[in-house]
Amino acid sequence: MGKKLTLLTAVFALVVAACGGGAEETTTTTAAPEPGETTTTAPAPGGGDAGAGGGGAEQAGGSLLDTVIARGTLNCGVNETLAGFGFKDETGQFVGFDVDLCRAVAAAVLGDADAVKFEPLTAAARFEAVNSGLVDLLSRNTTWTQSRDTDLGLDFGPTTYYDGQQLMAKKADGFTADSPLTDIAGAVVCTNAGTTTEKNITEASAALGLDITLQTFEDFNIVMENFKSGACDVVTTDGSGLVSRKATDPAGDEWVIFPSVPISKEPLGPAWKQNDSVWGDVVRWTVYAMIIAEEKGITSANVDQMVANPPDGEAARLLGASEDEIQTKMGLPADAFYQVIKQVGNYGEVFDRHLTPLGLNRGLNALWSDGGLLYAPPAR
Amino acid sequence: MRPPPHIRPMTQSRIDATQTRPPFWRNVTFLKWATQIGVLVGLVVLAWILISTALRNLEAQGLSLDWDFLTDPVGIRLGEGIFTQPASGLEAFATAIVNMLRVTASGIIAATILGVLVGISRLSSNWLLSRSATAFVETIRNIPLLIQIVFWFFLMTLFFPTLEVEASGPAPGWLIVSRKGVSIPWLFPTDVFWQWFVFIAGGAWAARRVYRRRIELLEETGRETHPGRWALATFVLISAIGWFAHPIAGALGWLFALVAAVIAAIPDFAFQLLFAAVSIWLGVRWIRRFLDSRRTPAGLARLTDDDYFRMGLAGALGLAGAAVFVAVPQITALITDVTHFVFAFLDQKFDFLRTGVPLRLGRPEVVVPGRFPQIGDTGMTMTPNFFGLWVGVTLYTAAFIAEIVRGGILAVPKGQTEAGMALGLKRSQVLRMIILPQAFRIILPPMGNQYLNLAKNTSLGIAIAYAELVQVGQTLFNQTGDTIQVFLIWMAFYLTVSLVLSSIVNWYNRRVKLVER
Repeated sequence: MGKKLTLLTAVFALVVAACGGGAEETTTTTAAPEPGETTTTAPAPGGGDAGAGGGGAEQAGGSLLDTVIARGTLNCGVNETLAGFGFKDETGQFVGFDVDLCRAVAAAVLGDADAVKFEPLTAAARFEAVNSGLVDLLSRNTTWTQSRDTDLGLDFGPTTYYDGQQLMAKKADGFTADSPLTDIAGAVVCTNAGTTTEKNITEASAALGLDITLQTFEDFNIVMENFKSGACDVVTTDGSGLVSRKATDPAGDEWVIFPSVPISKEPLGPAWKQNDSVWGDVVRWTVYAMIIAEEKGITSANVDQMVANPPDGEAARLLGASEDEIQTKMGLPADAFYQVIKQVGNYGEVFDRHLTPLGLNRGLNALWSDGGLLYAPPAR
Repeated sequence: MRPPPHIRPMTQSRIDATQTRPPFWRNVTFLKWATQIGVLVGLVVLAWILISTALRNLEAQGLSLDWDFLTDPVGIRLGEGIFTQPASGLEAFATAIVNMLRVTASGIIAATILGVLVGISRLSSNWLLSRSATAFVETIRNIPLLIQIVFWFFLMTLFFPTLEVEASGPAPGWLIVSRKGVSIPWLFPTDVFWQWFVFIAGGAWAARRVYRRRIELLEETGRETHPGRWALATFVLISAIGWFAHPIAGALGWLFALVAAVIAAIPDFAFQLLFAAVSIWLGVRWIRRFLDSRRTPAGLARLTDDDYFRMGLAGALGLAGAAVFVAVPQITALITDVTHFVFAFLDQKFDFLRTGVPLRLGRPEVVVPGRFPQIGDTGMTMTPNFFGLWVGVTLYTAAFIAEIVRGGILAVPKGQTEAGMALGLKRSQVLRMIILPQAFRIILPPMGNQYLNLAKNTSLGIAIAYAELVQVGQTLFNQTGDTIQVFLIWMAFYLTVSLVLSSIVNWYNRRVKLVER
């Protein structure tokens, strides 16, 4: 009996050891092509390592642009729970400001705004999804920060929404829209866990020497319930999020958002795997085209007339209506941005469609000519 | 002297005999040793392959396993605990661990008391009581714990009274009940508390001795000797003397200071050698005990190959431990530093003839540090987050403990009850003196499992922002990106807590179980 057991153990150990060795081999060999499942023959664009050496070699082989064209669809990482920016509606469709950017890029590259496969991502999983090649583009209310731009192996496109962290309190407690941050001294401040908001409020209150009690919840709905009951005195998150909460809650009129100047800068924009400038140009100029279109008053409704009768040379180039258009040099069809405006709309249209209904006004996100920060380089 | 030539044929035949033995790969002894060593080598190689592959893949992804976040500033705040503004990851973890242990310890105590009461009630002959207990058990254990925790949390934050500066609580100054917490008066230890604690510990020890002595007396004389009352009186008397006499115990500070000084004075390499020697000694001791256990009245039993292998392994481990202590001085430095810190800390708590009252009464009050009223830290305050988690895990575990207790009592043969009743004992006496002591032995092992569950379930506190280990760890890795390290700390901590809890239960179980011969 004892001998049999020993032998059995030995056999088992050998099998395990063999599997262990085999498994090691498989992990190392499959690590690179795993994300390449989505591609066909092109060298895996999102190949396992983010190392500089390997990345450079891949770069020469092909851009994500070629991969997306070959595949015929754009894989785009979005939010599915944030009304206005990225949200899965009751019919299962993805809608929102960030979602429309995915559709715009698909329209530019593939000529079809619906040729997008949306990948709903959590805040924690989003960067890994880009680095592993699961998504070609990340458009998920993501703040552009130094560490994400450098340390995480991402490149960021133009900021599509200038946000900033603010706080919300009750008017009954003596708060106004001009209340300074120092008014929260001694308060129970609630926010959501796992985002930059937690760090921002900690640093901002520490800088002012304010003693607050900070509670961080996984679920922002719990934060709002406790705010309404008074268990939380103050809540804080991105200004856009507070506006949409205030707008949708029956008791919202009794609340006020402050301070007037946000306590942090949260520039939200698209991101993709770094060192792919061909792909980066496509995303960047899709955003710029939407901004320029708003500047020139080109909308989805009048874009056909504009093509037939361009107001100036820049519009003609951008819409592919003149011979000196630049889109084909980027590897896109000449009418790429015509398709963007036709199928998705200009920046203002997209903003009005998704964010104006929430009660957000243009603010910093107005055109530069209207006193905002949106400024696109010229198309020439 | 050369052997005479006529011996040769015999030698020849002996060689023939050995040649007929099976080849070495069919030799039992060889096979046993080969498999044992093979398994050992296989395990080591497997572990090495797994770890090195993981590290290589991490490196390929640009992730490194550095632990700087433990000492670097973290820039987070925690809802409650010893450091609400931790200066480093280590402080954040310390706060989280203390918070987790608070819920675990108080939850285990409360769940045990409640569970035993409910379990006994289910067997009560009082119809209303037994049905209520059944309803409690069936309701609580059939609803997911997470939902219950959020429910209790919301019960407090949504339905308790709002905290007002005027007229706070049902009994201002004594009891505050509000959405921001429940606060009660509390006795807080002062800086002479530890001097008094020496007397409390001594009193407990003396009470135990007195109790045993009175029991012996009872058994000798057969007269009632009131062992419980005697023990209690001893404890109260010594504690009361200590309340006034504690400055004398401050002399212990000299002892602690001396130990700390000695540890600081002895060079580290001496400790290294000492620990190495201890490691070898432990290996040798294990082998000797093993040999003792194999000794029979007829002498040492025949040792199998397996036994030799175990002894070899024990010796090798002892030597390996010694080698590690000698080769890695940091381990020794860590041990001596921690020991030194403990004694230096104790030294501060004791000062010969330092006078004062060991406990101070703190009464709850409402303070207004800014625009919002808050519960001050003068009383003992239970936050809604602690309340939700504590009530949640306590009730949930109590429901399971109740079933274990009921099962344990039912497992005691009915004849025991009948015999007790026949002796003229009251129902409560039968339960207390006959049934429960026997049921206890059956109950104890599954009870340990429930304690482990409770400890691990405290991690659900993350749902209601209770600053326990998982919540704080998640906050930390969201800010620093050191996900894997935090996971390792989580696993190590919960493993340690579970092992400690189960070894306590197992130790106790061995003590109380029937001695079988």
